[in-house]
Amino acid sequence: MKLLSIALLLMLTPVLSAKAQDSRIQMSSLDHLAAKASQTVDVNLDERLMRLAARVFDDKDTDEREVKKLVAGLKGIYVKSFEFDTEGQYTPGDLETIRTQLRGPGWTRLVNVTSKKDGMVEVYLLFNGDAVNGLAVLHTDDKELTVVNIVGPVDLDKLAKLEGQLGVPDLGIEPQKKTKNDDEK
Amino acid sequence: MKAIATTILIVAFVLTPANVALATGDDFNSVVKMIEQFYRVKHEGLPFLAKAGMKVATTAARIKGGDAKRIAEAGSVKLAVFEDQKFDGDVVKFRSSLNEALNVTWMPLIQTVSATDQEQVYIFLKDAGDKFNVLVITIDQRDATVVQVTLSPRNLALLLKDPEGTGKAITQEATINDQE
Repeated sequence: MKLLSIALLLMLTPVLSAKAQDSRIQMSSLDHLAAKASQTVDVNLDERLMRLAARVFDDKDTDEREVKKLVAGLKGIYVKSFEFDTEGQYTPGDLETIRTQLRGPGWTRLVNVTSKKDGMVEVYLLFNGDAVNGLAVLHTDDKELTVVNIVGPVDLDKLAKLEGQLGVPDLGIEPQKKTKNDDEK
Repeated sequence: MKAIATTILIVAFVLTPANVALATGDDFNSVVKMIEQFYRVKHEGLPFLAKAGMKVATTAARIKGGDAKRIAEAGSVKLAVFEDQKFDGDVVKFRSSLNEALNVTWMPLIQTVSATDQEQVYIFLKDAGDKFNVLVITIDQRDATVVQVTLSPRNLALLLKDPEGTGKAITQEATINDQE
């Protein structure tokens, strides 16, 4: 009986791990766009790599110390970005595969977020009570589509500090006023 | 009952990712062969690679003097260089094949593919005890490089902080070292 319990525990381990990764969104539905894109970038930093990355930031430097603290709590950074030579290479259906996930329980779209970049930026946070457990950014332009997914506790004010580091693109996000969207679940 | 439990235990153990990972061979050579086959850049056996414009070398990394800093651990560098050959092919298909071949043991860190410029950069990571193996593959229209190095956790952190920059530095370091 003890043997059976151990076996079941072993088999359930991946299921339990997957549950803990709820704020990770699936982006593989966008992979087909690589065939049309002039430039494709994929970044995958999982929890273990995040812990290692935290070591490189210098405690003596105020800015780096903040980033280190932020990175140490994160469980992953995932980026998928496509640039196209011409317009109309991705469809609303492509975006919908991402947005559908971001309409799920806990996800809230932030309003009053602007970006220095052209196009539209949508920022979503995954709340567990008052705590933020994940962030997703969807940046769309006529010739560009970028999805950034940060798994773990992160807020918009700190996101800016990650831009240009750890594979996070420079999104030029400027938080103005954090407000929960009324129509969210 | 005991037999069923034992069977489940064995199946669960076999399906554990760590055990799947053990079932692979030399991925560096596999990647080199894959490039050769996909792009038809080699038609000779390994001893004749130099004639075909490809060099394979396992270099002993040497610590330079002055301010130079080594990224790779000493003696860990495996390098394959394809020079002045035609890399004409479907980059998306190649990327897909490469990921399929490496996804069991290697973790994709960053992949940059430019279909219009036919430029590709792939960086994969693999656990190597207290250190890490890094595989950097760069391909452009005429040249390609495959580099595998071992990194300390400290240098891995540098790679994670700036994947593209450090990936390029690893390739440059290995290439320069090979020419010394």
